[in-house]
Amino acid sequence: MNQSITQLGTPPARRATRTRTGLLSGLVAFWAQFRRRPYGMVGLIILILYAIMALAAPWLTPYKPDEMYLADRLAAPVWARYLPRFKGAPPTLRYTIGPGQWDLTRHENASLTRATDQERGELTVVQLSPVLPGEAPATAELSFPVHYPHNPPNTFDAKITYAVEAPVDAQTTLSYSIIDPQGTEYTVWDTTVYGSSDWNTATIDSRDFQVKMKLGLSFFDDPATTVFATKGDYRLVLRVSSTAASGPVRVRLAGLQANILGLLHGLLGTDHVGSDLWTQLVYGARISLIIGILAAIAAVAIGTVIGLISGYLGGKIDEFFMRVADVFLSVPTLPILIILSAFLGKHIGNIVLLVAAFSWMTTARVVRSQTLSLKQRAFVEAARAAGAGNTYIMLTHLLPNVFPLVVANTVLMMPVAILYEAALSFLGLGDPRIPTWGRMLQNARAFGAFTELAWWWLVPPGLAITLLTLSFTLIGNAVNEVLNPRYRERT
Amino acid sequence: MGITALQNGVKVLGFRAYLFRRAVSALLVLFVIISFNFAVFRLMPGDPSSLIIDPRFTPEAIALLRQQFGLDDPPFVQYVKYIKNLVTFDLGQSFTSRRPVIDELKERLPNTITLFLTSFTFTALLGIAVGVFAAARRGSFAETLVTGAGLFTYAVPTFFFQLLLLLLFGYYVPIFPIHGTISAPPPEGTWAQLLDRLHHLVLPAGSNVIIGFGSWALYTRNAMLEALSQDYIITARAKGLSERAVLYHHALRSVLPPIVTLVFLSLPGLVTGAVITETIFSWHGVGRYLVDAVLQQDYPAAQGAFYLIAIAVIVSNFLADLVYGLVDPRIRVAGENA
Repeated sequence: MNQSITQLGTPPARRATRTRTGLLSGLVAFWAQFRRRPYGMVGLIILILYAIMALAAPWLTPYKPDEMYLADRLAAPVWARYLPRFKGAPPTLRYTIGPGQWDLTRHENASLTRATDQERGELTVVQLSPVLPGEAPATAELSFPVHYPHNPPNTFDAKITYAVEAPVDAQTTLSYSIIDPQGTEYTVWDTTVYGSSDWNTATIDSRDFQVKMKLGLSFFDDPATTVFATKGDYRLVLRVSSTAASGPVRVRLAGLQANILGLLHGLLGTDHVGSDLWTQLVYGARISLIIGILAAIAAVAIGTVIGLISGYLGGKIDEFFMRVADVFLSVPTLPILIILSAFLGKHIGNIVLLVAAFSWMTTARVVRSQTLSLKQRAFVEAARAAGAGNTYIMLTHLLPNVFPLVVANTVLMMPVAILYEAALSFLGLGDPRIPTWGRMLQNARAFGAFTELAWWWLVPPGLAITLLTLSFTLIGNAVNEVLNPRYRERT
Repeated sequence: MGITALQNGVKVLGFRAYLFRRAVSALLVLFVIISFNFAVFRLMPGDPSSLIIDPRFTPEAIALLRQQFGLDDPPFVQYVKYIKNLVTFDLGQSFTSRRPVIDELKERLPNTITLFLTSFTFTALLGIAVGVFAAARRGSFAETLVTGAGLFTYAVPTFFFQLLLLLLFGYYVPIFPIHGTISAPPPEGTWAQLLDRLHHLVLPAGSNVIIGFGSWALYTRNAMLEALSQDYIITARAKGLSERAVLYHHALRSVLPPIVTLVFLSLPGLVTGAVITETIFSWHGVGRYLVDAVLQQDYPAAQGAFYLIAIAVIVSNFLADLVYGLVDPRIRVAGENA
């Protein structure tokens, strides 16, 4: 049953002449044994799911992990609407109101037309006729109906881009209001333009103090809860009026963008800057897998080289390397990583290198002890007698024979690397530009997941780390059992 | 090596030689750590004095500290002075609190030791007890449960589990304090204060125990099962001894040495684990001090805290080696070969 596997340990004279099909049959034999280990297979299936998640990240989510204000900060997941706490919470509502979408609900000496601007596209144009001094100003009232059957949001905002074309004596007033179902009007913004004005953008945010002042609220009051207190049909109203005697006034509007940032968003809600948590989770799989794989390969490569040299050459060199390994093993790894990552800078590459630099020792020890026993074998002696150099023997005779160990060690090293990265990120020492699960946990802790009882922010990244490390451990143990019969009885 | 001396049958000499070797090795590690500290905190690019002396100090204070740290001396003299400073625990002055780092550490050390010893003791006791229990009831549902729980706690990252506990028992069902070592202001009376401290200790220590006991339980169970299959157990049973006596007097006694070794081998991990535990529960200890210092770029404080943690780890390693060599010579041989 183990025939083809144990062949890996047979003299390389055969291996050297082995064809590609030989290697393939070795793999096939390995797979035949591996697939009979249920735990290993479970681990493999989990890992494949993660790999799919990592590869398909852009298709699993429409957002980018650092895209801000997709909804309000600390929004709950959409499914939380079934929890009593979030019943009736608003989703994100965005309205881009362009020409043709406005209703001209009231007008005096005014009309509504359209125009096209090269830069800004379709424009709504309000045309106001000249009025005589002392007469009522020409006015237009543009309305847009909004059905709002939700609880009050925490914020609302709007962006108005406008330009005025008028004679010098004209005094044009623009104002933006929200009219609630009872007909109460809340004017949140207005401005007066003397003569003409080039393109301007007014940004209105309910959290700004100007808005509170306009509504006669105190600094601590919340305009959003005041304005959107009732459920029903609201109207967003834009008023334009002008008193120009010497000629017509044209107010051009390049669309109005009105938003109500929702308190429910996506599969997992949002973080403290309104970024999508599901997106961060999905992209986090990429980062964790990359970090795990790179750091593990680096660590095991260092360990293998040192173990081979140490075991094969022996003597002073062996003594030196094993002393170094002892020192590295007795040094507190996490504190040293904390110190060094602070000095070297919070870069993802540094984290990979640091984790590798402090995780090679176990591999070095295992490879060394295997090499020690291998070098007593006849085929090594034969190679030496035939005049083979040390490097040649290590590369072609010893390395292939310790390779199963190396593979198993690499798989088992990945969860270690992933956990170190997660711990560093969690402590605030990770790469700030890269969304990792550790950073999600840190953000959750630092920016209010606890006070908001937002377990959907905390549990998914934690579970993701747990399952990934578990899958690597399961696979690693299974690989170990298959490739290194020595371990089989132990488990 | 000490091993050969042992194999030749000269046990006492072998053990002494082994101990000597380990002590030398521990000192070597200490030396490496000190040198590492020196290298990292002095030889980094930029003005090294800005890492040791707060640039916001007055010029006189800077000049005094420059002289005290000998920053104008040649590197070798600096190095010797540095070693002298560290050995005498003269760790400089914190940037943020303007107090000597050693005073700050002294204030925090008892808290760290309390948390550490509590976690350690309960993890060991619970782990061994559960392991023996599982071995005694081989094949029962309870055993499956115990092994399953052990595997699970082994896989869950400690900090995630601690965050969950914090969310659950600090916020959802707020029965435990969410941060700190003692309430502010502390309650009146010694007993009330002690109780308050214990109340704060439950979550951090408890989480360490729950996460930690699993692997010890599994190890104990496996060792016990192996011991229970030995001939002398059959003999003991044949003698008509009660199952209790067989379990505790024969089996457990024989597996205790390797378990004690394991217990000590886990010490360094617990010391470094304190960094995260203390950060999560805002424990007023050395580990959190390190993280805070690093985040605030308070270099003398970071250096001092790291030095203290490194010493703790070196001492724990040495203790583990000591016990390792002391309890059972067979383990030593097997352990060195593994």
